Amino acid sequence: MASVKLTNVKKIYDKNVVAVHDFNLEIQDKEFVVFVGPSGCGKSTTLRMIAGLEEISEGTVEIDGEVVNDLQPKDRDIAMVFQNYALYPHMTVYDNIAFSLRLKKVKEDIIYDKVTKAAEILGITDYLLRKPKALSGGQRQRVAIGRAMVRDSKVFLMDEPLSNLDAKLRNQMRAEIIQLRQKIDTTFIYVTHDQTEAMTLGDRIVIMKDGYIQQVGTPVEVFEMPSNLFVAEFIGAPKMNTMKTQLINEGEKYYVTPFGAKIPVDGEKAKMLKEKGIGTQEIYLGVRPEHIVMVPEKSESTIDCTLVVNEMMGSELHLHVNTEDGTPLVVRVPTMNLSAEERDSLHAGSTLHFTFEGKVMHFFDAESEVNLLVDGPAAPTESDESAETAEPTETVEPTEPTAE
Amino acid sequence: MREKTKDLNHSSMKRHIGIKAQTHISNTAIYVILVVMSIVWLLPFVFIVLQSFRVESTYPVGYVVPQKWGLDNYINLGKTDFWHWYLNTFIAALATAVLQTVIVLCMSYTLSRFRFNGRKALMKFILILGMFPGMLTMIILYRVLADLGLTQQNALPGLILVYVASSGMGYYVSKGFFDTIPKSLDEAARIDGATRAQVLYKIILPLAKPIVIYTILTAFMAPWGDFVFARYVAMGTPSGYNVAVGLYSWLTIDQINSRYTMFCAGGVCVAVPVAILFMCLQKYYVSGVTGGAVKG
Repeated sequence: MASVKLTNVKKIYDKNVVAVHDFNLEIQDKEFVVFVGPSGCGKSTTLRMIAGLEEISEGTVEIDGEVVNDLQPKDRDIAMVFQNYALYPHMTVYDNIAFSLRLKKVKEDIIYDKVTKAAEILGITDYLLRKPKALSGGQRQRVAIGRAMVRDSKVFLMDEPLSNLDAKLRNQMRAEIIQLRQKIDTTFIYVTHDQTEAMTLGDRIVIMKDGYIQQVGTPVEVFEMPSNLFVAEFIGAPKMNTMKTQLINEGEKYYVTPFGAKIPVDGEKAKMLKEKGIGTQEIYLGVRPEHIVMVPEKSESTIDCTLVVNEMMGSELHLHVNTEDGTPLVVRVPTMNLSAEERDSLHAGSTLHFTFEGKVMHFFDAESEVNLLVDGPAAPTESDESAETAEPTETVEPTEPTAE
Repeated sequence: MREKTKDLNHSSMKRHIGIKAQTHISNTAIYVILVVMSIVWLLPFVFIVLQSFRVESTYPVGYVVPQKWGLDNYINLGKTDFWHWYLNTFIAALATAVLQTVIVLCMSYTLSRFRFNGRKALMKFILILGMFPGMLTMIILYRVLADLGLTQQNALPGLILVYVASSGMGYYVSKGFFDTIPKSLDEAARIDGATRAQVLYKIILPLAKPIVIYTILTAFMAPWGDFVFARYVAMGTPSGYNVAVGLYSWLTIDQINSRYTMFCAGGVCVAVPVAILFMCLQKYYVSGVTGGAVKG
């Protein structure tokens, strides 16, 4: 149970490949933080630096206020679950879980109590005398978690623990991790490339790209107020529709003009734009698939599209449509709101009209791709040299964890 | 339709028989070749074993099966320096096996798991160094050992020193095997609180059992059968001989007629423990030699 603080942490491979740039983050005691990003974004490297499996090229990592840069993994009092389970194949499940305790020379009867208790929580009591190869993927993952659990360590690290499991098992284990978290009340750092896992598990999410932090925030914050275009597209499935368009300011009113339509920006969003003093300019407009509405009649504020693919997901339809100039958009339509006739009429080639409300719009600068309504400069990326001078640490400042 | 399926079945059955017959023929051919090879291989051993039980004469003869059988040759070994030489060889082989195994496994683990400056250069250097025949070093090694006083009657420690000295260079097979053991096991163990040394002997070595046994066996075998260097270092002092050099000394013109059958008995005594060792550890040895390529 401890806080973890990373200050200007940098990882440089082979003297010139920078995997992680100036990583600043403060993780509170008992917080569940998820590092998420596409592969190669540096999330696992950062985790391994916290674990002590990778050297820290620059900056400091503190656990419970103590700088651990030069400590061996065994002296950092951390537990870790690996993607490929990393169970010791020559030992039984019991011995696997007991391994760390035996190294600490804990008495056998205490080990027995701890191992059986962990096994009970994880539901693997029946397999304690089996070797790992006689277990299924899900059971192996439980053993790996059990092995980390008995350590009672300060920080619990998980490196893509669910990505080797099939989809159904992954959902089940995800729910179990949420329950587990209530049972073992400690600081969690969880790495994943799956935004669903990040959204469902994390108190706070750290979104990374090319070694830079893009945004740190609660799931609600990153979903509703993505700091830039990358975060907007990364969080949420199917991903947010983005379109390059004009934001027009006429006095108090704002309009966007995607694909020839003229849609007013109303209410809160318009007020915020006004407060920021944003004028007419070119922007990327972002609208989530679930926020686009299908309307029967063509009007000034509708976008005309041709249906390309209709994916029936059960409770909803994913309509892949092309606008008149060929830009692909995705629209989620709940099947509940559709009559059978309407549903049958949705076939490839049919013309549909869509619109959306002002309150669901996201506005990103056409050049820097930063959210116009979010304070602070852009989180720099490797392709974005100009932004690099703009103190990337500002966006990286941890927001207060919301009370949950 | 049914006709067609029948035809299909019929033709596939015919092909099946064809394959079976082919396998049969090629298997027979392979077995014939193997049997012939085994006979060629085994004949000298059979010959030596039979000669060692010959008691009617002690000199080389023109027939194989003894006319009179007995254990005299084995009993007479005790009246010579044979068991002293045997002990010399055993000590050298055992010490080499232990030391060399430790060095090779540590070296392999280091090269497999650690990334340090000059690692690649070191590996290349060892590879190139290994291409020079060991014989080249003999004269200089003798000089060094002589200066250290480790020749002739002190040949044994000298020999062990030389056998063990360059053993780190034989890391290839075990490094190859270690490379196939996932690194995350090391990492998990290190996080669980193990030191690097504990990782090696609690995690890696149990998983690499075949390769450990292979390393021990090869380390044991080289000194056990060494002749050239052992003879050179002993320099004609019988107390410094190993068993191969000692036995060879019985084949000189003046000794061969009285010692030839004893030589054969000595040869059998040398071969038996190694043969037993190999039979017991054969399954590990085979998986050790092939283990580097595919993880078992």
